Amino acid sequence: MTKKRTDVTLTRRKAVAGAVALATGYGAYRSVPVVFRPRIEFEPLDEPRGFRRIAGGKISTGFAPFAGISSNSAPDPLLERAARIVNDDICGALFGASKTDSDVVRLASFSDYYCPYCRVQTKRLSLIESRSGGRVRVVWHELPLLGDGSRLVAKAALAARRQGAYAAFQKRMMTASFQATPAYLAAVSNSLGLDYDRLDADMSDPDIDLELHVSAELARRFGFIGTPALVIGSTAVQGEIGERVTTELIAIERKEQRGICA
Amino acid sequence: MTMPRLAAAAVLAFAIGSGDVAAATSDSHKSPALVARLITAENGVAPEATAISGGLDLTISEGWKTYWRSPGEVGIPPSVDWTGSENVAGVEFLWPAPTRFTAFGIENFGYHDEVVFPLRISLRDAGKPAFLNAKVNLLVCSDICVPDDFILTLDLPAATGIDATAGARISDFAARVPDDGTASGIEVTSAFLAADRSKLTVTARSERGFSAPDIFPELGGQTTFGKPDIRLGDGNRLMWAQLPILGSTGDLPALAVTITDGARAATIGPALSDVAARPPFLLDRIVPGVSEVAWIALVALLGGLILNAMPCVLPVLSIKLASAVKAHGQSRTRLRSGFLMSAAGVIAFMWLLAAATLGAKTLGLSVGWGLQFQNPLFLAAMVVVLALFSANLFGAFEIALPASWQTQLARADGQPGLAGDFATGAFAAVLATPCSAPFLGTAVAFALSGRPVDIVVIFTALGVGLALPYLLVAATPGLVHRLPRPGRWMVWLKFVLGGLLALTAAWLFWVMQGVAGFAAVAGVAAGVAALVAVLSLRGLGQPLRLGAALALAAATLVAPAILRGTPTAATGPETGWVRFERGEIARLVSTGRVVLVDVTADWCLTCKANKALVLDRDPVRSALARPEVVPMLADWTRSDDAITRYLESFGRFGIPFNAVYGPAAPDGIVLPELLSSEAVLEAIERAGAVGATAAGG
Repeated sequence: MTKKRTDVTLTRRKAVAGAVALATGYGAYRSVPVVFRPRIEFEPLDEPRGFRRIAGGKISTGFAPFAGISSNSAPDPLLERAARIVNDDICGALFGASKTDSDVVRLASFSDYYCPYCRVQTKRLSLIESRSGGRVRVVWHELPLLGDGSRLVAKAALAARRQGAYAAFQKRMMTASFQATPAYLAAVSNSLGLDYDRLDADMSDPDIDLELHVSAELARRFGFIGTPALVIGSTAVQGEIGERVTTELIAIERKEQRGICA
Repeated sequence: MTMPRLAAAAVLAFAIGSGDVAAATSDSHKSPALVARLITAENGVAPEATAISGGLDLTISEGWKTYWRSPGEVGIPPSVDWTGSENVAGVEFLWPAPTRFTAFGIENFGYHDEVVFPLRISLRDAGKPAFLNAKVNLLVCSDICVPDDFILTLDLPAATGIDATAGARISDFAARVPDDGTASGIEVTSAFLAADRSKLTVTARSERGFSAPDIFPELGGQTTFGKPDIRLGDGNRLMWAQLPILGSTGDLPALAVTITDGARAATIGPALSDVAARPPFLLDRIVPGVSEVAWIALVALLGGLILNAMPCVLPVLSIKLASAVKAHGQSRTRLRSGFLMSAAGVIAFMWLLAAATLGAKTLGLSVGWGLQFQNPLFLAAMVVVLALFSANLFGAFEIALPASWQTQLARADGQPGLAGDFATGAFAAVLATPCSAPFLGTAVAFALSGRPVDIVVIFTALGVGLALPYLLVAATPGLVHRLPRPGRWMVWLKFVLGGLLALTAAWLFWVMQGVAGFAAVAGVAAGVAALVAVLSLRGLGQPLRLGAALALAAATLVAPAILRGTPTAATGPETGWVRFERGEIARLVSTGRVVLVDVTADWCLTCKANKALVLDRDPVRSALARPEVVPMLADWTRSDDAITRYLESFGRFGIPFNAVYGPAAPDGIVLPELLSSEAVLEAIERAGAVGATAAGG
């Protein structure tokens, strides 16, 4: 090929090839994310205001709310106090009073020790928190919906927190099956090096009841019908969600810094 | 006149009967997870009746489940409080045998779709009306766990008659309640609990033979068992199971063992034994003898060597040799090190594969040879590589692989050509993958089922086999000069080799059509065509051409993911063959039939050969056409968990796999990978021979 002959065809070919490359590049750019990670879409919640949930959530109604929690007693001062606490400062009730760095994403996890999927989700969230280098903080709420045993363990967990052993207690409960009896709780607190007499006394402290009521009130406001449930920053999620969705939501919340708790 | 009257009376009786059905069924409780109601077999309390047969009937929505009396590691069993019932002395709540759910490593036992808990309701005053008031407490879980608490009531007036529908439903599930082993023919022969409470070993016998048993031990609420390791022996009449204990605290109550096998189940409280029963067989594939490993390694070595002659790899070897012939001036040392580097490239790629396999196994992914052919992305990538190389041989463009890699890489690191030689070897190994399926099934499947060291040994042997020609030249560089001089024949050779590669690519297209549908094939074909076209635009500047090629290649790889459609393989097996269903095998065998299972896939060339040369040819074809023989086809072209588990039950991780079942061989006779008419006919004969001893499997 001589130089002169190629010049004209060269530019035309170049243009065509360039266009093809551009088109495929754009196509790949547009379609690859769609194929490999569907975008999460949100819809705002009417109540509590300032929060949102993932659009198209599967279940929200149809169950009798909080069948497990007795609400037969008429005006319970503890319930009223819990409602007031949530009204006054929903963010504080969800994520704790301490203000955090804006870089830290806060999660409120609601779970029950007798619910199989909670086990999965709790283990996952603990792992995400420990790997985040302090950039993810999980606040654990006990939402014992599954009867007396479940309420007993929840109280024991909160009482263990007063001895600085919440995480250790939670971890123990996640590793095996158990029967929530005082004897079992005594054995567990002994093996964790806790003071069982103090634990037992704390379990009947009305403040622990109040903590449970605050968690239940929060769950009621968010319309959670079961466990596990989760509030990530400003997004409420029901049910066990996979690792991918969890980390993606954390990333979105970190980037957007929205909602009333940001 | 009488006939119409009779008919009218019958209709009337039917109407009354069906009207009474409502009386034997409570109002339903409906939630997103389930529909629940109380049913009774009797329409009411008959005179003198002291008991009523009832049931708590749950229709469970898709994706939801509820739990057995021992829910597993965590969970809550259903409970019913009968307070408020009238004329009820007691209610015995029966538990149908559960199924096992495993999610994220947590074992749970329970029910999905539907379950009826049979109720034995005993009355305080015989023959008097009764009222059932059931306060039901259920845990239902999908990906969320919700307590579903509700009250069901049922009035039982004084009445006679049976509600056939409710009765059938109750008795159907009552039959699934584990018995004491008498009717189900299951006997627990030993149970050993390790002193440190680390594991439980149970053996059971059933003269009827086990087909797919599961075991659910109960040792109080504070002891949890992990996934059982179940092995069958003695012609499937012996079941041996070992379960790890995940956690155990407190005092131990008496052990109860529930064993399920298909429709039958038994709960037995065995006495604890002093020693653990020995398993009927050791998973000796896990720890194979040195000689066995050596033998399989030899097979892998030969397989690797033969791969060089396959259409995928032959061109690389030929070009490498041809370039050596051309490069006359090269010193022996240079020639030798060049070929050594190529061999190193081959082996390095094989080690990479071994590492990837080990990684996948560590992550708990199911690995099997040939599985990659179930992945459209892999297929697209192989098609792109093969098509480019083929087009290159046809002279479509001159980014001559591997020649230009050689020079480019040589330039990059200053070492003249050695990196290029290495790349040539690795490239040969890459190209070998699509052609490896037919040969290496046995060796690779062996490695996959073995220890990490087996994987490394087998893959190394494979690499050495594939690299053998290069090593040969490296050992005696003089060989190169014996090769014919380059000339016009080399052009023809190139065309032939290019044709072979194109054929391989076409075969992969065909496989892809089965996996991802026609649209994906069209997309990838268009992408490849465009890619070749762009690369052959000689006038185009190198950077632009490469850029466009890279973009096109990326787009081609993505194509099958986007265009993935309904694969055409869904047409089902051809006439005469039935679709594989594991449960059907035992049923057919119990009716005296002989079942031949053929696990095959579009990408499995040996399977195709078996089919064309043996199964579809007389005398086997007419043997399979006999009415008492049922040929069953399991299509593994796309990944299918049921088939994977079936293969795993035989310790197989690859195909071809054929087995023959029959009354005389309920556990199946496994046929050799390369079928022969004699082997198939003999197996059918043996399996069908009633009275003959069951032959091993």
